[in-house]
Amino acid sequence: MNIVVLVKQVPDSTEVKINPETGHLIRAGVPSIINPYDHFALQAALELKAKHDFKVTLVSMGPPQAKSVVQMGLALGADEGILLSDMAFAGSDTWSTAYALAKAIKKIGKVDLILAGMQAIDGDTAQTGPGVAQQLGMPQITFCEHVEVDGRRVIARKQIDGGYEVLEARPPVLLTMIMTKDYTPRYPSFLAVSGSLKKPFHVWSAADVGAEAHYLGLKGSPTQVSKIYPPPQREKAAMFSGSGQEGAEKILELMRREHFLE
Amino acid sequence: MASMDAISRNLMLDSLKEYAKRRIPYDLIRELDEKNEFPAQILKEMYQHDVLGLHLLMVPVEYGGVSGGTFDIYRVCEQLARIDLGIATGVFATFLGTDPLNVGGTAEQKEKWLKRIAGENLLVAYGATEADAGSDLVNLRTRAEHVVKNGKIAGYRLTGNKQWISNGGVADLYTILALAPGGPCWFLVERDMEGFSPNKHEDKHGIRLSNTAGLSLDNVYVPAENLIGMEEGKGLLQAQAVFGYTRVMVAAFGLGAGEEAMEQAIRYSQQRIQGGGPLSDKQGYTHKLIVPNYVRMEGARAYIEYTSQRLDSGEHGLQTEGAIAKYGASEWGNKAADDAIQALGGYGYTKDFPVEKIKRDIKICCIYEGTSEVLEMTIYRGRWQEHLKSRGRYYLDMADRLDQVHAGEPKAGAHAAALGLRALAAVLEECRAQKLTRHQHVTFKLGKLICAAETAAIFSEAAAAKKYSETVRFDREGWQAMARVFAREAALNTALEGLALVLGAAEQAGSLADAVNIEAVQAEQKGMIADMDLVAAKLKQTFKAK
Amino acid sequence: MIEVSNKCIGCTKCVPVCPFAAINMVDRKATMNEACTLCGACVQVCPVQAITITREEASARDFSGFKGVWVYVELTETGDKTHPKKIKPVTFELLGAARKLADELKEEVCAVLLTDKDHNYAKDLGAYGADKVYLVEHDELFEYNTDVFSTVIVGLVNRHKPSSMLYGATIQGRDLAPRVSSTLYVGLTADCTALAIKDGLLLQSRPAFGGNIMADILAPNSRPQMATVRPNVMKMNEPVVGRTAVVVRESAKLDKSLRRVKVLERKIAQDASGVKIETAGVIVSGGRGMKTKEKFRQLEELSKLLGGVVGASRAAVDLGFKDKTHQVGQSGTTVSPKLYLSFGISGAVQHIVGMKASDVIVAVNKDPNAPIFNVAKYGIVGDAHEIVPRLIEALKKK
Repeated sequence: MNIVVLVKQVPDSTEVKINPETGHLIRAGVPSIINPYDHFALQAALELKAKHDFKVTLVSMGPPQAKSVVQMGLALGADEGILLSDMAFAGSDTWSTAYALAKAIKKIGKVDLILAGMQAIDGDTAQTGPGVAQQLGMPQITFCEHVEVDGRRVIARKQIDGGYEVLEARPPVLLTMIMTKDYTPRYPSFLAVSGSLKKPFHVWSAADVGAEAHYLGLKGSPTQVSKIYPPPQREKAAMFSGSGQEGAEKILELMRREHFLE
Repeated sequence: MASMDAISRNLMLDSLKEYAKRRIPYDLIRELDEKNEFPAQILKEMYQHDVLGLHLLMVPVEYGGVSGGTFDIYRVCEQLARIDLGIATGVFATFLGTDPLNVGGTAEQKEKWLKRIAGENLLVAYGATEADAGSDLVNLRTRAEHVVKNGKIAGYRLTGNKQWISNGGVADLYTILALAPGGPCWFLVERDMEGFSPNKHEDKHGIRLSNTAGLSLDNVYVPAENLIGMEEGKGLLQAQAVFGYTRVMVAAFGLGAGEEAMEQAIRYSQQRIQGGGPLSDKQGYTHKLIVPNYVRMEGARAYIEYTSQRLDSGEHGLQTEGAIAKYGASEWGNKAADDAIQALGGYGYTKDFPVEKIKRDIKICCIYEGTSEVLEMTIYRGRWQEHLKSRGRYYLDMADRLDQVHAGEPKAGAHAAALGLRALAAVLEECRAQKLTRHQHVTFKLGKLICAAETAAIFSEAAAAKKYSETVRFDREGWQAMARVFAREAALNTALEGLALVLGAAEQAGSLADAVNIEAVQAEQKGMIADMDLVAAKLKQTFKAK
Repeated sequence: MIEVSNKCIGCTKCVPVCPFAAINMVDRKATMNEACTLCGACVQVCPVQAITITREEASARDFSGFKGVWVYVELTETGDKTHPKKIKPVTFELLGAARKLADELKEEVCAVLLTDKDHNYAKDLGAYGADKVYLVEHDELFEYNTDVFSTVIVGLVNRHKPSSMLYGATIQGRDLAPRVSSTLYVGLTADCTALAIKDGLLLQSRPAFGGNIMADILAPNSRPQMATVRPNVMKMNEPVVGRTAVVVRESAKLDKSLRRVKVLERKIAQDASGVKIETAGVIVSGGRGMKTKEKFRQLEELSKLLGGVVGASRAAVDLGFKDKTHQVGQSGTTVSPKLYLSFGISGAVQHIVGMKASDVIVAVNKDPNAPIFNVAKYGIVGDAHEIVPRLIEALKKK
């Protein structure tokens, strides 16, 4: 089987801060990381590879420095890496991104299983995975906790309200993964990083994958960002401190004040 | 060795950071520090090929390593120092212990031993220091006597004692400096050789996670092929050849530990409310305890990178540059760690907070790999030669270069740096004219002034560059402000301290006061407080309270 | 497109404000790389107005025929054999939001309901604000399936042309909506926290970067403009008893072969309290600071005394103190109880996103600088292990 893993380089959103004076985002010094959900998807793919000797190809869309996440995947065991990089992609929303990724996957050829992280921690939309599946005409299973392959059957355990479902699909199929205890993402050893430089890595432009300009960038994106601004400042909490007894009494007092108790 | 590409290097650093987060939490480090215990398991794990394989960084690819360059090693050392200086020292000792092989070994020796070190994950120790031979290896006492068989030297018997050897009690392989009939040389000694025994693990002030032990050698027999380079007498040369590079590693330690301490203080200061507001908003606090220290650390960083890049591009030696990097980073790092305790007040004084341990640990950076005093002397000697050779033009030419930089980018403090260099040139010339270098005190002080003045020059050049190194975590505005603050301080100190030094040693100072251009240096101080305010704001932004 | 004119003085003020690190200085001039999303943050800071973003005019396509604010109706199991399914509360919240939008646009609110068996759902849908219900009743709609449901919805949209469509950002909604929007090549905005009309367009506001920034999104050339909204974000209107919705039956040709993903097994965890945290009025929540599973159990007792439900931070769930169905946060459930009482939760962004809509938040933590105090109404700096048992005692006495 041929597996494609979609990975994205994102800013560590927990570190992204707003400058309180200007209200703008401060990016300087914020490290770039592999999208944590994609890290789980990658681990799932590598475990399938270890079990069944499948081929794993990484695909990422981003500026040249995004090579880092592709190389990381190669260092962890993936076979081939592709970075889709082109100025034409600038301003692309999830639809255009899914379009470009779908084109790249079409160029790869026979792909049986696509694994992607459920969402990227910068955009938080969870739309790109389903968009890729739709544009490739394949079925999708989102919110996956675990994936297994049995012959020509892909078996996914999917989270649902209050529990889980076990689903089956025939390839080709796309799964988006959430982060659970089922997988423990790894970090490559020094030797593995060094060795990854020998693995095949390609940079593809929009033209290389036949992505048409009018479907890309701002022009091709159905959504536009009209404005960004800091979240509303909240009034700071009324603070109290105290021992066990004082704390308990304070809580009771507050609950009475707010009419939760008589 | 040339350095790796930035992406590969940063992937390795990320793996190291993640490993430490997972396996070396602060609580564990604190416990080991209390117990004075070497974390053998951790070191073993870090060397495992499929975990990190840290030691492979300094082994060439052809022997199973990853061929790390100086820049890569600096970054890894900096990161290790942020985790724990004791663990960093344990790793560093393996690097150091392997150096005589790398530099002086024959092809066969490198093939055999580097492969073993890489493949078997050996912990190595560098055995040079003795009771009477610390900074000064000339007093070497450990002897290597010939063992002759059939008219040929079949091997050597080593007898002597080594002191304060990092990894002394735990290494698998030792490179021992001993005095053979033909002169000092390095021998490869394996732990289980008869007559060889490590002594007890020292009870130290800091870097308590680093195993430090003396070694006893009692007629230890080593075969002739364990003489590194197969030629007697090359030992000291081989040792010195790598100083440029090993000093950069310890400089990186000072940088990592110093900045880690500072960053703790910066985050704390935003949460600690006293006198109606957070400490991070108070100049009396930031402009004394935080800004000057962080600025000096970034200056140290610029100088470390400058030296690393030159070594990676194939230059050899650079012992003076290495000394400047190490002396600066370790002295400034120590001040930073000390001020970090002050910055955290009562909390900083308790073991719950990491800064007290960093302060204890970082002291070693001023002692090992060349004490600060020896390095002052080394720096002076190296540059004095240049001053004489160039007939006093060495620093004037450097100042001209900085003036050009200033013309292209006036906001990087290059003019102040140039003033400092010209003042230095004048001081050196006055010392030469009045033969003041017969006073050892003068020479050591000159070493100190040279370090600051040259670091200022390198820092300003780096801050003026179109593109910054991937390691700079500040924007252009912030880093340039730091360079300006550093350069002003360096210019002022060079001029005033240099002048005072000469006045203290000479009969009269001649026209030195004019030559150091005190007026211009004073005028250059304008804007200092505004720049310090700016730096304080940038530090606050980058290191937000968690 | 984005352009930097010669007015650029190389001051680099734009570089650090870009959320996507898309700006570099090349020869002292700001230059954008392909990570640029044209969000305009840099335009706002440039002191010399050297940066311009030109957006294309809305195309000549005639959107006047697209009318109606649609709401996707999500059904959920009740466990009751006679009424096996009911409408999820988020649907009613969306109807409330849709009502406001439709009134401003002078359009209709239409609920879209796919089911195998109708149970007069239109009654409630009408009471909560729907003017019309598009009802598709078919055996193949007995359970959710991406391919089957998206096919039906796309068909309905093409036939009846709504101007906008809202879905709950539930597991089902986040699976269905992007599939539909991709097929139609229209804009979809996820997890909206606010919806409004601006110049006749749907203005969609949502958090990004884990909640560290807010973004306003428009989809000017999309019809329908689609958005998903998390449960407990929009307020439900009071149901107007007797307000009726017109039911429009739609047919669909659905073949079994459409169903490419098959369900092999379904397991719902037994929830002892029976009340889901999503709808609880009082939540007593614990985090890593509770230290052990045994200590965490005290919160069960406390929550029972207060008539509420136990919640848990992700850390607490990962440590095994409570199972995932009680997890509050970005990767758990979004809650908005009247009272949220937290113990030993530091307040990571991902947790706060899941509970900040609560009416009253009382947080207890040993660390005075815990970020949870930034969203709490009341903060108690103290030891949860000392406070909880005494609180339980005091409540028992009453």
